Amino acid sequence: MSVIAPQFKLSEFIKSLLDNAFWILFLMVLVGLPALMIVLFVIELPVIDGELLTPFLAFTAIVDPTRILPVIHALMATDIFRVAVFPGFGFAALLAAGTIFAERKLLAKMQLRVGPFYCGKIEGILQLMGDGLKLISKEIIIPAKADKPLFWAAPVLFVATAAAFVSLIPVAPGWVVADIDMGLITVFAVIGFFPIITILSAWSANSKYPFIGGIRALFQMVSFEIPLILSLLGVVMLTGTLNLSEIVESQSTFPWIVFLPIGAIVFFITMLAELERIPFDLPEAESEIVAGWLTEFSGMMYGLVQLGTYLKLYAFAALFVVLFLGGWHGPMVVPPFPTEILTEGIVMGPVTAQIPGLPLFTQDMLNGTFWFVLKTVAVIFFILLPRGVFPRIRVDMLLSLGWTKLIGLCFVNIFIALGLLYAGVLGPGGLQ
Amino acid sequence: MTAELPPGLALQKVDERIMTLNVGPQHPGSGHMRLIVQIDGDYIVACDPDPGYVHRGEEKMAEYRNYILNIPHLERPVIHDSCNVLYPYVLGVEELLGIEVTERAKYVRVIASELNRCIYTMYWLAIYGIFLGHSTMFMWPAGDRELLIDLMEKMTGARVTHAHFVPGGVRNDLPANFEDVCLRQVNYFEKRIREYADIFYDNPILISRTRDTGVLSRQDAIRLGTTGSVLRASGVDYDLRKKEPYDVYDELDFHTNVLKEGDSYARSKIPWLDMLESCNIIRQALQKMPKSGSVRVKLKPNPKGKIGSVYKRVESGRGSLGCYIVSDGKPEPYRLKMSVGSFRNLIALPYLLKGEKLGNMPSVYWSLNYWPVEADR
Amino acid sequence: MMSADKDKAAEEKPAAEKPATKEAETAPPAPKNTKSEPKETETAPPAPKDTKSEPKETETAKPAPKDTKSEPKETETAKPAPKDAKPEPKETKPVAKETKPAAKTDEPELPAFEKGISDKLVEKFGDKVAVKFVKKDRVGIAASRDNVHDVAEFVRDGLGYDHVESVSGVDYPQDKEIEVVYHIGSYTDPSLARQILVLSTRAQREESPIPGNDATKLPSLRDVFYSVEFHEREVFEMLGVYFEGHPDNRRLQRTLR
Repeated sequence: MSVIAPQFKLSEFIKSLLDNAFWILFLMVLVGLPALMIVLFVIELPVIDGELLTPFLAFTAIVDPTRILPVIHALMATDIFRVAVFPGFGFAALLAAGTIFAERKLLAKMQLRVGPFYCGKIEGILQLMGDGLKLISKEIIIPAKADKPLFWAAPVLFVATAAAFVSLIPVAPGWVVADIDMGLITVFAVIGFFPIITILSAWSANSKYPFIGGIRALFQMVSFEIPLILSLLGVVMLTGTLNLSEIVESQSTFPWIVFLPIGAIVFFITMLAELERIPFDLPEAESEIVAGWLTEFSGMMYGLVQLGTYLKLYAFAALFVVLFLGGWHGPMVVPPFPTEILTEGIVMGPVTAQIPGLPLFTQDMLNGTFWFVLKTVAVIFFILLPRGVFPRIRVDMLLSLGWTKLIGLCFVNIFIALGLLYAGVLGPGGLQ
Repeated sequence: MTAELPPGLALQKVDERIMTLNVGPQHPGSGHMRLIVQIDGDYIVACDPDPGYVHRGEEKMAEYRNYILNIPHLERPVIHDSCNVLYPYVLGVEELLGIEVTERAKYVRVIASELNRCIYTMYWLAIYGIFLGHSTMFMWPAGDRELLIDLMEKMTGARVTHAHFVPGGVRNDLPANFEDVCLRQVNYFEKRIREYADIFYDNPILISRTRDTGVLSRQDAIRLGTTGSVLRASGVDYDLRKKEPYDVYDELDFHTNVLKEGDSYARSKIPWLDMLESCNIIRQALQKMPKSGSVRVKLKPNPKGKIGSVYKRVESGRGSLGCYIVSDGKPEPYRLKMSVGSFRNLIALPYLLKGEKLGNMPSVYWSLNYWPVEADR
Repeated sequence: MMSADKDKAAEEKPAAEKPATKEAETAPPAPKNTKSEPKETETAPPAPKDTKSEPKETETAKPAPKDTKSEPKETETAKPAPKDAKPEPKETKPVAKETKPAAKTDEPELPAFEKGISDKLVEKFGDKVAVKFVKKDRVGIAASRDNVHDVAEFVRDGLGYDHVESVSGVDYPQDKEIEVVYHIGSYTDPSLARQILVLSTRAQREESPIPGNDATKLPSLRDVFYSVEFHEREVFEMLGVYFEGHPDNRRLQRTLR
């Protein structure tokens, strides 16, 4: 007979339950109720259906869950939702997590193996969660001679910058965190932060391999930012705007990759280099410099950098979609929301449920998101693909590629754009 | 460091431009050794290989074990190539003991040796792939290697450390219908490794990375005493299977792969070409092998070698592998020295890396067909 | 088939960096020991079980434990002048050699080509070298530590060998000696492709070696054969033989104490 809890006594068990109940009540009275009061009095509550959302209305959602829908509607209109959930961080992180999983499985299939397989029963779908838990639970080791504030700050800065990049991407009509007129310039500015963060973290680690890796990353990013910026000038010339949403709107009939294929190719290559993907992963070349500028990172610091890297990957792929592939434009494939639900409610036998607040999302938004995600996933696929095919190139080849060939191609692309503009093919009197 | 340094050791005052990198032993690109690399910017100004981290005293251990007991531990330096590592030892002991091996045993040895050469080369190729950042080239050879490992398991009973060669032949005869299985798997293996050209050897990025890097001229290859694929990639036609045929290599029809360039690309291609040639050799040997017969000459227990010394060499996966046995008439060798190709090729490393870029270090280093454990013995 | 000019070029480089130690051979330590016929003292190092009856290629000059001649040598380090010059047999030696084990009798039925190599060496150096064995594809010669450099130069320049495959140190505690064996081969000469010249030399062995102040010294062949560089370092590490003239004579593994 196995004894699970040999010291078990019923009286102590009951006492512990009572203790817990006491402390819960005690804390609720002393802390919870004042906090609730502060929330109610200080925070501005949304107006739902013409009346303010009072605590009483909020509590009625307990008996009628459909009343939560207007609240969600109101919530979705707030900035915090956009930043944290849909077009912003949460959505991007979800796509990034999917990217990591897809990368592993895709690479495994290319290499005649199975990849993550056991964790999560279905094709190792929970492997990423397991890896994340492992990273969180690992000890964070700081090198003794590191510049500690900078070293701590670097991963956070990296993720923050990547998230800032994500916030500029318009996903669906009207669904963008920061819809600013100088959107593309802001993108360049945000991209310009990455080399600084990289070299700061590499320098602050005070170690040789991160230093070499940081220098390499600096070389690589700086030399590829110029073709990156130049390759996008063609699009700006043709659309006449820097606002990313307007750039997407301008591609309602055809995407710019039709007219500017060279710019798209150059942008794709520079994208690979900025992302340190495999033909250009010199800053993390493991056989030369152990892990490059990531060598000294451990535990969740490394996890943060990886998260930032994949957010960046998503953001670049989305930028490619926005600039060259027409963003959210695509044939309408999402069926319209059934209007009888709005007018008559959902009839289930004798019961008719009137659900106010539907639909949550408009048809345009769903369709736009669908096409945007589809195109982004396709671009991400092409970003992942070279990893199974190419070896790593060398830093001198990389620099000569960036400074000579790609910049030359960028100018060719700009001339194509100018030619299209002046020949009247595009713009006033032309196709658009 | 105020302690008195031995004359061989000297503290070196370095320029401030020069950064000393300890590549290894805890480094993904070093293997079980250390390369002390001094770099000026991206250029390597000096490289000092520092082997010895996996020295296991195989040679000294051999002095305390008799000729039979030496078999399982002498193959340890390169377990992927264990048949070839044992080969010169077995040949030498046979000469010391005055044993003549049966014809079938010789063919079985040649087959096992060539299979092992392929197994080793696949492993080497996998690491070469990952050193260049080509992860597919890491997975494919590591997977296709299993074909031949299964063959060797059928043949010897062990997947990697076979201990199959014994003085007097091989330990066990081939299993039933081994010939058919072997032929089928080797044919598939050859078809498979020919595909590596598409993804690896014809890859433009690979060619641009390894062409004209680490060039070892013909005269330097000879002067430095390199061997194996390094030597043949520099244009020297020297393969012990041809030049000093042991067992039945003189009855088989094959050719030696020689390239003229002497760069990393040629050095990495020669072992791959050799694998194709090994498939050819295996097929011929399977055909010409006597279908029946003994594969092992019974030895007396605890056999004693003649007084004298013997030096036998074979062509292993990493080049000439010699075994120098000094016998004093006891059942144990008085001295056993393995002259291994890895150690002989290591001398070319500082020579080749001087002036190279840091990014070329992994490709040049591993193209030397170097196996750190073998070099340390 | 081999291009002769390249071979020549291969020989030029080591020759250029060879130091001018030619005149050192003018003062050989006269290793004319009394035993003209080394056969009778030929014993394997620890085990004197020398059964001559069976055909073996016994190396005659190897152990020679009762060779107690110890004339001081003129070498650089004023070490206690051990019996450095090992038994240097005369050129009558090869005649008394036995052949490879495949040979049936003691009759010196030597392979002709290998015999030619040893004859050339004996003709050049006389009794400074001892032919230890001549068998198929292998020629074994021994030279004293004073002559080994010259012999190696002749082996390279006169015989066409071009690289050293292996440098083995063999410890003979009974003789208080350490033998260093060079296995020399040739890539450039097709006729020598099968051949290995086994050049051995001996150094006096220290009873209690002092690391960093090794008294067991031998001349380095690194300026003759570039390829001995790491091998000699390995012998230095494993057996403590300090090779004089080696430009980088560190122990193989850089372990700072």
